[in-house]
Amino acid sequence: MTSRIVILAVVARPLYLVILLASVWVLLRGHDEPGGGFIGGLMAVSATILWAVAHGTAAARARLPLGDALWPAVIGLLLAALSGVPGLLGGGAYLTHLWWTLALGPAELKLSTVLLFDIGVYLAVWGALAGYALALLAVDERDQPGGAP
Amino acid sequence: MSVAGRTLFTLAPLTALVAVLWVLGTQTLPFDFGWDWIPALDIELAFRIDGLSALMLLMITGVGVAVFVYAGGYLSGHPDQKRAYLLLSLFMVAMIGCVTADHVLVLFVFWEGTSLLSFLLVGFYHERRESRKSAQQSLLVTGTGGLILLAGFIVLGQAVGSYRLSEIIVAVPAMAPTPALTLAMGLVLIGAFTKSAQFPFHFWLPNAMAAPTPVSAYLHSATMVKLGVYLLARLDPAFGEWPLWVWLLKGVGSVTAAWGMVLALRERDLKRILAWSTVATLGTLVVLVGLRGESASLAVGALLLAHALYKAPLFFVAGNIDHGAGTRLIDRLGGLRRQMPWTAAAALLAAASLAGLPLSFGFVAKDVISEAKGLGEVFTFARMANTVFGTIAVAVAGITAVRVFWLRVPPGGVREAHEGGAALVLPPLLLGLVGVVLGVYPLLAQDLLAAAAAAMSPAGAGNAVPAPLDPQPDLGSLLLGLMFGVAVFLLWDRCHRGLEWLAVRTGRIGMSSVYERSLEWIPRVAAWTTRRMQTGSLPAYVAWVLASVVLALGVMLWLGSAEWTWPARAVPSPGVAGAAGLIVLGAVFACLMRDRLVVLLSVGLIGYGSAVMFLFLGAPDVAYTQFTMETVFVIVAAAVLLKLRRMGLDRAVPEPAWRPGALLLSLLVASVLTALLLAVYATPFDPVLSAFFGEQSVPGAYGRNVVNVILVDFRALDTLGEVAVVVLSLLAALPILQAWRRRARARRPGVGT
Repeated sequence: MTSRIVILAVVARPLYLVILLASVWVLLRGHDEPGGGFIGGLMAVSATILWAVAHGTAAARARLPLGDALWPAVIGLLLAALSGVPGLLGGGAYLTHLWWTLALGPAELKLSTVLLFDIGVYLAVWGALAGYALALLAVDERDQPGGAP
Repeated sequence: MSVAGRTLFTLAPLTALVAVLWVLGTQTLPFDFGWDWIPALDIELAFRIDGLSALMLLMITGVGVAVFVYAGGYLSGHPDQKRAYLLLSLFMVAMIGCVTADHVLVLFVFWEGTSLLSFLLVGFYHERRESRKSAQQSLLVTGTGGLILLAGFIVLGQAVGSYRLSEIIVAVPAMAPTPALTLAMGLVLIGAFTKSAQFPFHFWLPNAMAAPTPVSAYLHSATMVKLGVYLLARLDPAFGEWPLWVWLLKGVGSVTAAWGMVLALRERDLKRILAWSTVATLGTLVVLVGLRGESASLAVGALLLAHALYKAPLFFVAGNIDHGAGTRLIDRLGGLRRQMPWTAAAALLAAASLAGLPLSFGFVAKDVISEAKGLGEVFTFARMANTVFGTIAVAVAGITAVRVFWLRVPPGGVREAHEGGAALVLPPLLLGLVGVVLGVYPLLAQDLLAAAAAAMSPAGAGNAVPAPLDPQPDLGSLLLGLMFGVAVFLLWDRCHRGLEWLAVRTGRIGMSSVYERSLEWIPRVAAWTTRRMQTGSLPAYVAWVLASVVLALGVMLWLGSAEWTWPARAVPSPGVAGAAGLIVLGAVFACLMRDRLVVLLSVGLIGYGSAVMFLFLGAPDVAYTQFTMETVFVIVAAAVLLKLRRMGLDRAVPEPAWRPGALLLSLLVASVLTALLLAVYATPFDPVLSAFFGEQSVPGAYGRNVVNVILVDFRALDTLGEVAVVVLSLLAALPILQAWRRRARARRPGVGT
């Protein structure tokens, strides 16, 4: 820990949260405004890299969903692949997307298999590229005394 | 794995067997069924079960049951037994799909499935280097063959106008032998020959014996390697009248039959001896497919069935010996009948069929074959090949059933052996018994084989009464064949030594070494190109990239010979002119300056100039992106340069002030790009795609961000594929990066854990 920059370690916590929230926001607005799962996933990767630089790759890995890069990658891929199935069952081609609107008082929520697909892309990009980044960073990383490998 | 788990897995082939029997019992053949798959490409999951499919299906599921039971005993206690069962189950599904598919592309998908599963099953003992190598070899040979087969199928489908097997075999005989059809035939032949281990692709099959014995019995003798023969038999009605087809089948098949059997003499390992005799049998089958007439088709069916019924149990016997005595080398085996009586009995039953002794189904098959050869025209070489085949088959039968069980133990041989459990003994006994029962009552198989023959030669299907399976033994030739066989059996060791003597002198000629050498060439060529291209010098990389761009674009422009319209002369707006001035200024400075930081800033000027130009040309979003990109680039690069300067690494590499090569290259790039722009300018802009996406984005996909709508909706499948590639590449990269990390740690003593 001593070798790491203290200011970065302090700032990392709020920044990590903000970047992740922003990435989710970018993901959710993607269908109508600039954004989407891919770019959102990339933002999330940058949050993970930030944490890895501040606290080490092991800590950053532990912060990923389910504690490893492979899980979000695989779950995201499955989610994206499965999002095409409802359309198939509805008689359309694979990946024909379905839409529902959910009335919530004054506002209404647009739900769709597209959203599922985009979340899948988000998770897959996050997991895969974070996995790459962490593994690359780990190559040159010195072990922290008492830290996890 | 528990007995319950094994039983559960064994239910899979059993259910399939019952289903096949049910279909055969209740439906009239041929029985068609199917579903839409890719309607846009006119690809249908079309299946068709006729007599030939029925025969294959019975072999796949019937032998499958035996294999699954046997695997329960053979791999008992192996930590990966479940994996073996899973792969075997998948393999069975792929086989069933293969022999029932009517659409050639569907057939191809299942065909590739069998190749892939064969790879995984051959490499089952993946901790052994030998297994991995053999698995790679079988995949490379059958996989390459599969791709060639796909090419053949596509050419065939395009030439005929249909991808349905049932339509192709009707259409082709009426067509003239165009070059396209001939090409298709050749490609399909190569595909089938690789799968069925025909000469010169025969070498992979014996090496595949690195697989566990149940796998060898199932894939590499009873079912998968027969797919090539199956495909040839399927297409025989289409090409059967072509002399080229007939001669290739007879020629290649004969060579394989004779050569395979001779190579069996070289081996000391029981499984490899059996493997070579399988190769030879496949060759004989190919010859039989090449023969004309109903009786030849009947012979194909009979030999297919007979071989499955005797070779699978013989593999089981070899596995039992390995299991009970700890070795398969015939030099160390003998007198096993005392310790392994049941296995010995099974070996006798199966070997009788292999040798073609009376009262076995092998005898019936042999008889039908000789009848077919009597009717069809067979050239002398094929006759001789068949004689060699029959003779050594008797010797192989003697080795597997007599030598290791009844002759005395050789000096230094294994004396301790034990019989396996019921799961190891019952499958070979049962299959061997079926062989004998069919040998005594060949009429039991009459309907099945007649239906298969009718499917292989549909021309005579309607009226011709299939030749009865009624053995008319020609005792003289039978006895003669047996005598020769026994002679080879007795002289086996001497033949072996003779062949070894020859092999030592001709070792580098064989196909196996050709394969090895070509495999060595791949890394050599890769290393050469890497040395040439990845020199580590950045200017060299840039030169490579730019030269490739010039070459590719130049050739395309040359071939396209597009019309170039010179744009009408117009005075540019002050904004555009100013931007262009910025760009030129930056470029000139970048060339003249020597200080790296100044050069970097000059290059940044070019970027900003382009951004300004985008701004004035009505593309503000692109301009913003360019501004951001450029700023980030300049800052990062400047930081790197400053850091290098602080580390004292910024000493300039001595560069010549005048570089004619670079000037020439940049002039070339500039002219090609200008030409490209002029060519683009000459073609009218086609707005159909952007108009479509613009119109459809909101009503069709409920999204206003067209880019994202294309990504997640209109072309979602592409995106799915890309994401899958990203994730899969991570799976491949992680072990490499982890190994790298371990190595980096090992180099830092005292830090690693």
